[in-house]
Amino acid sequence: MDIDAALVHIPRLRRYARALVGDAARADDLVQDTLERACQKWALWRPPTAATADQVQAALRGWLLTLMHNLFANQWRQAARQRTIDWNETREPGHDPTSGLGLRLDLERALALLAPQSREVLLLVGMEQYSYAETAEMLGIPVGTVMSRLARAREQLRRLMEGEAPAPVTLKAVK
Amino acid sequence: MSMNRPDETAFHAWVDGELAPERAAEVGQWLSQHPAEAARVAALQAQCAGLRALRAEVLDEPVPPRLRRALRRPPPQWRWPHALAAGVMLCLGMGLGYGLGDRAPGASPQADALTRLPVFVREAAAAHAVYVPEQRHPVEVAAQQQAHLVQWLSKRLGVRLKVPALDAQGFHLVGGRLLPGEAGQARAQFMYQDAAGTRVTLYVSVLAREDRAAAAPVAFQWTGDESARGFYWIDGRQGYAVSAALPRERLHALAEAIYHQLG
Repeated sequence: MDIDAALVHIPRLRRYARALVGDAARADDLVQDTLERACQKWALWRPPTAATADQVQAALRGWLLTLMHNLFANQWRQAARQRTIDWNETREPGHDPTSGLGLRLDLERALALLAPQSREVLLLVGMEQYSYAETAEMLGIPVGTVMSRLARAREQLRRLMEGEAPAPVTLKAVK
Repeated sequence: MSMNRPDETAFHAWVDGELAPERAAEVGQWLSQHPAEAARVAALQAQCAGLRALRAEVLDEPVPPRLRRALRRPPPQWRWPHALAAGVMLCLGMGLGYGLGDRAPGASPQADALTRLPVFVREAAAAHAVYVPEQRHPVEVAAQQQAHLVQWLSKRLGVRLKVPALDAQGFHLVGGRLLPGEAGQARAQFMYQDAAGTRVTLYVSVLAREDRAAAAPVAFQWTGDESARGFYWIDGRQGYAVSAALPRERLHALAEAIYHQLG
């Protein structure tokens, strides 16, 4: 199987990345990194045995999304580290973008306010229509974690969109 | 008949079609008796529909050329996992030892790839292919005489050689041999073996100035061939090539271990 098989998945990857990171250029950067990673790791990709052409394509898409998750997770881990340092150093209050938010938000803006991990679960299950088991595998977490994250994320999203005060976010200071 | 309130995740699983039919029917029945909860679950379904439709227009956009190119062309440089010292050029050559027989230029993508590799990498691939299957005489000087081996090969190559230890990676030194380069230079090959009998060779060459320059623009190549693969890099005057029929990760770990010990 040739890596060109990944071409047909680019539109779906772009859409998912757009919903995940919001900004169009950054989303395409993430897709580009994912495709480059796929080139490097192509030899490791094993299509499922005794599978139909559709199942092979679905598996390939799942593999690409897994690569994208790993890249994305690295990004926000780095960003979080950065933020933690900033917060520790400056002790600047009022950095919570959701504080005092009393207005209804559209879906996309509400999505942007969720934690990256919550967005991933919401989008993989809600937008990409993956099962809990498939989502768990892609994200490398237990199915139970998918379920609890999903329930929490949906509730947060609902509150944000209905203009309710969001549930308090616990801020962990790393020391 | 009344049942207990299903827990929160059960409502979500119900919306997502993740429940077994029997359980789904129970939850459905419970909701039919609890209109307030049913309204909340309906809102959940509406939210899901919104997510399903989100950004659908992106699907119809033409794929930007840079994304097509990302698949077509290897990335501009191989990203080694750890930052390596500046001035060290790292190249990756895949498919060593493949199609080394009677190859006409341009006969196959593999042959093309090989002709673009630096000379010492091709030498390394040939030496790997010849000596790795050797049962009785895989090396000239066995590991038991390691001190002599290093001294001898250092003298012939004109540089102080080090023999990396790969025991932590499961490979012990078998020994080494002196080999002729394409233009009659002295080259060294060290061979390692693991408990399963898999052999790894490290090929060391001292490069002439022009070879160092010529070796620079090497593209990432992949043949998909399982028989032999390799990493190679150039550090100062010396070119190193590590070859083995191993998965890329393991080979990569070996190459990295060797690099760090030699550095």
